[in-house]
Amino acid sequence: MSAEYDVVIVGAGHNGLVAAAYLARAGRRVLVVERRHLIGGASTTEEVYPGFRFSVFSYVVSLLRPEIIRELDLPRHGLEILPLDGTFTPMPNGDYLWRVNDHAKSRREIARHSRLDAEAYDEYGKAMVEMGRFVKPLLAMTPPDPMSRSLRALKDMLALGRRFQRLSPDDKYNQVQLMTMSAVDLLDQWFETDVLKATMAASGVIGTFQGVRSPGTAYVLLHHYMGEIDGVFRSWGLPRGGTGAISDAIAGAAREAGVEIRTEAPTAKILVRQRRATGIVLESGEEIRAKVVASSVDPRLTFFKMVGREHLPADFVDDLAHYKFRGSSGKVNLALDGLPDFRALRGAGPHLRGAISISPSVAYMERAYDDAKYGRFSRRPYIDIVIPSLTDPSVAPAGKHVMSCFVQYAPYHLAEGNWDEQREAFGDTVVETIAEHAPNLKDIILHRQVLTPLDIERMTGLTEGNIFQGELSLEQLFFLRPAPGWANYRTPIKSLYLCGSATHPGGGIMGAPGRNAAMRILTEHG
Amino acid sequence: MAHRREIVVIGAGHNGLVTAALLARAGQKPLVLEARATVGGRAVTEEIAPGFRCSTVLHAAGPLLPKLMRDLELERHGLTWLRPDVRLFAPSLEGKFLCIHDDAERTAADLASFSPRDADGYRAFAATFARMGAALSPLLTTTPPSTEVLSGHDLWSLVRFGRRVRGLGKRDAYRLLRWAPMPVADLVEEWFEHPLLRASIAARGIYASFAGPRSAGTSASVLLQAAMDGHASAPAAFPRGGMGALTSALAAAARRFGAEIRTDARVARIEIKNGAATGVVLASGEEIAARVVVSDADPRHTLLGLVDAAELGPEFVAKMRHYRSRGTAAKLNLALSRLPRFSALGDESALLTGRIHIGRSIDDLERAFDAVKYGELSERPVLDIAIPTALDPSLAPAGAHAMSIHVQFVPYVQSESDRTAQRSAVLKTVVHTLAAYAPDLPDLIVGHQVLLPVDLEDQYGLSGGHLLHGEPALDQLFTFRPLLGCAQYRTPIRGLYLCGSGTHPGGVVSGASGLNASREILKDLRS
Repeated sequence: MSAEYDVVIVGAGHNGLVAAAYLARAGRRVLVVERRHLIGGASTTEEVYPGFRFSVFSYVVSLLRPEIIRELDLPRHGLEILPLDGTFTPMPNGDYLWRVNDHAKSRREIARHSRLDAEAYDEYGKAMVEMGRFVKPLLAMTPPDPMSRSLRALKDMLALGRRFQRLSPDDKYNQVQLMTMSAVDLLDQWFETDVLKATMAASGVIGTFQGVRSPGTAYVLLHHYMGEIDGVFRSWGLPRGGTGAISDAIAGAAREAGVEIRTEAPTAKILVRQRRATGIVLESGEEIRAKVVASSVDPRLTFFKMVGREHLPADFVDDLAHYKFRGSSGKVNLALDGLPDFRALRGAGPHLRGAISISPSVAYMERAYDDAKYGRFSRRPYIDIVIPSLTDPSVAPAGKHVMSCFVQYAPYHLAEGNWDEQREAFGDTVVETIAEHAPNLKDIILHRQVLTPLDIERMTGLTEGNIFQGELSLEQLFFLRPAPGWANYRTPIKSLYLCGSATHPGGGIMGAPGRNAAMRILTEHG
Repeated sequence: MAHRREIVVIGAGHNGLVTAALLARAGQKPLVLEARATVGGRAVTEEIAPGFRCSTVLHAAGPLLPKLMRDLELERHGLTWLRPDVRLFAPSLEGKFLCIHDDAERTAADLASFSPRDADGYRAFAATFARMGAALSPLLTTTPPSTEVLSGHDLWSLVRFGRRVRGLGKRDAYRLLRWAPMPVADLVEEWFEHPLLRASIAARGIYASFAGPRSAGTSASVLLQAAMDGHASAPAAFPRGGMGALTSALAAAARRFGAEIRTDARVARIEIKNGAATGVVLASGEEIAARVVVSDADPRHTLLGLVDAAELGPEFVAKMRHYRSRGTAAKLNLALSRLPRFSALGDESALLTGRIHIGRSIDDLERAFDAVKYGELSERPVLDIAIPTALDPSLAPAGAHAMSIHVQFVPYVQSESDRTAQRSAVLKTVVHTLAAYAPDLPDLIVGHQVLLPVDLEDQYGLSGGHLLHGEPALDQLFTFRPLLGCAQYRTPIRGLYLCGSGTHPGGVVSGASGLNASREILKDLRS
């Protein structure tokens, strides 16, 4: 029987769409099937309450690869990124720390807390930019397999070693520290102001089941110096129309290249014959034949649910069983009648236009993690807040606002009870935590959507609600992601590829896995 | 008039003595200078109460490299090992216990009553770690390669190591790569289901570290342990006469080969001229000129305490200051009127001859660690205990026993009032914790000694009171121990070498750091 499509892609998340677009542009007949009624996976914009449009899950963008924006011509397909300026961190003593993109301003603000830190901030920034230069090319490469005997892998390994060797001794030292240390240990070397360290370290733990003192968290600090919107270092942005607009732009580029996208088409099975994928079966029973199947959903769903263990080598099953998801975060989306008024800095000033970070001290952050380790949500969580309606009024009715609260920690596995029972208590904790800093909050909430990791799993399919399709811990990165020997987007099933965040370089709205996977498919199915 | 020496070794800890002995064996005449009245450093036997002698700081070897036993003829110098059948005994609060023996089959048979699944799991686990340990063991005696200039020799040893790892087969080699940076909690959860077994194995990963079992990189310590003798858990390797007997034998060997050892000779400063070490100055003011100075003291003390900062430059000094060596462990040594009776054992005492592990579950270990993050003493500390008198009655009066307890976690405090409060808190907490397993223990105590991190710093010269001369964290191991660029036992000062636990492979008492340092020093002397 001949195949209907060259490639069928399971899941219309941003990575699935990116892969589809590249494959179609190279002349392949591509179909993307999506379980939900809308595309986007975890980057969607949904009108949860009439007139209020939320970036329901992921809420900011920074790491979207510039080559993808360029090659897929995303601005022409409607992508517009509005700047998100700065991070405002209110403190319980009534003071605050407010860093903005304007370096000189931030420096003055930090000097208010510590002159030494203001000086160190310059040096730190420079060192991070250097480190970012080393890491960035790694994002676009297929990780070489250290155990492969192929010449290609050997060459890639040697080239990596050489690049490292060519760094200056200081850069080598920094690089090693960045890859292995905890965010707090690293920041301790640079700064003395607790709130500065806390709020910077917070970004190192977003989406992971680790604390700011956990080794391996320093690396994510780098991401803040690798954002590449408009080619400028260190900028984060809000897509106009929410993060769904990113998915829509990529889908636009994909459709233009001939990609067919079917929503409300959940995949039940990936067809395997003689260890080769031959297509998929939808839950409706419909069979779709394809020469290649690429899955942008996580490996547990792909292999344990859609392929079936019986088709897989025992070692691979074993490795997947050990692959850690451990969702650790939740989301609270608020529809507001006005703006929160922070005790530390009154009024609706520009501090509300950036990120608002509830991360007042290192101990606060660490205690939030301690709660999660023993299976309960943080009594006082870390919260990363944005109010996109201030920058992009189109997402809320006039005079009203949407507020997106990313909350950590909310462990998927609770020691007692279940998330369906604890959802509202979790929402209350989040609101109360913010209200300690902005007491008027409770009075201006019109609607509240509380998303626990269980809800994230139910809605997006992300196993255990892990927003990165699996922990970004050292043993699950680079040539170990998602399983050793299979970090090259291929799988033990011929013609079945992975193209989601569970592959190198991992999560965040980056698109690199989708693009890297597409390149791999094109090389092998030329 | 200053004395003139070819080689001076600062510190007569086990690594200093190994270095001196091996240098002397190669024809050099090193002078070892020890600040304290006795040799041994962390490996000493001292009186803790009248008639009670105990390995006051570390209570077991790592074990010692067999090569050193042979080459230094330590048996001839009076060293004998007591190797009980049981490596580790771990009681539960419910009156049960598990044991880890040298023999995996015997361990598995014992475990069957706890969990049949874990019994099988342990067989596979032990075999895997034996294989991995064998592949890794050459690394212990390898000088970590420099990342600046790869010498032909470096490249060769790397290639050889790569081939050994490949020789494990893909499956194990991948596991090695995956496990090395992993939290030890995840490692034991992959293998075992019983909480006590998980905790007993995981404890090795956090030994003397600022880390809990859920901290990344803690599996690396377990792999390093496996490299020592093929076991994931530490051996019950006790010298007859306590740890001091080991270092006495090392000192005797060093002397016989021609080294000189002076005690009560505290080095105050390392003299440097034109970027090269020229000798040392003692606290007494005495100057000793030397062409080569080797320090067994920890890197922080050596490079920040004994060397003038101007000689190293601000950048190096800053990096050294960031070397993490804040101790988190205390020692409690008890003099007991008789052997305590563990509820799990009744009158049976043979199983108390190895190490005793107290810590019920991963969460228990992690909670103990949580406290130290906030500068507090663990409510329920993790304990690693030895009762050396169980096999070696000569250390205590007839019928009486000495109990050496390694206590985690205890934060570093400095002020006199904090010390006093912490000392009694450690005693009270540990005795309370232990009484849950051995109810008669509180009534048996006839004397005690508490060594807080700050005491370990004051009395034994360990910076920050860190028992391992610095955190065994991923960024402070191998090519990065103590710092990238000086992991080859050399320092930025020509003629100044490091040979202590702050260098690769560091850690427990194996003598590997001393062996490697002596090799590099001889290489330089000959070139």
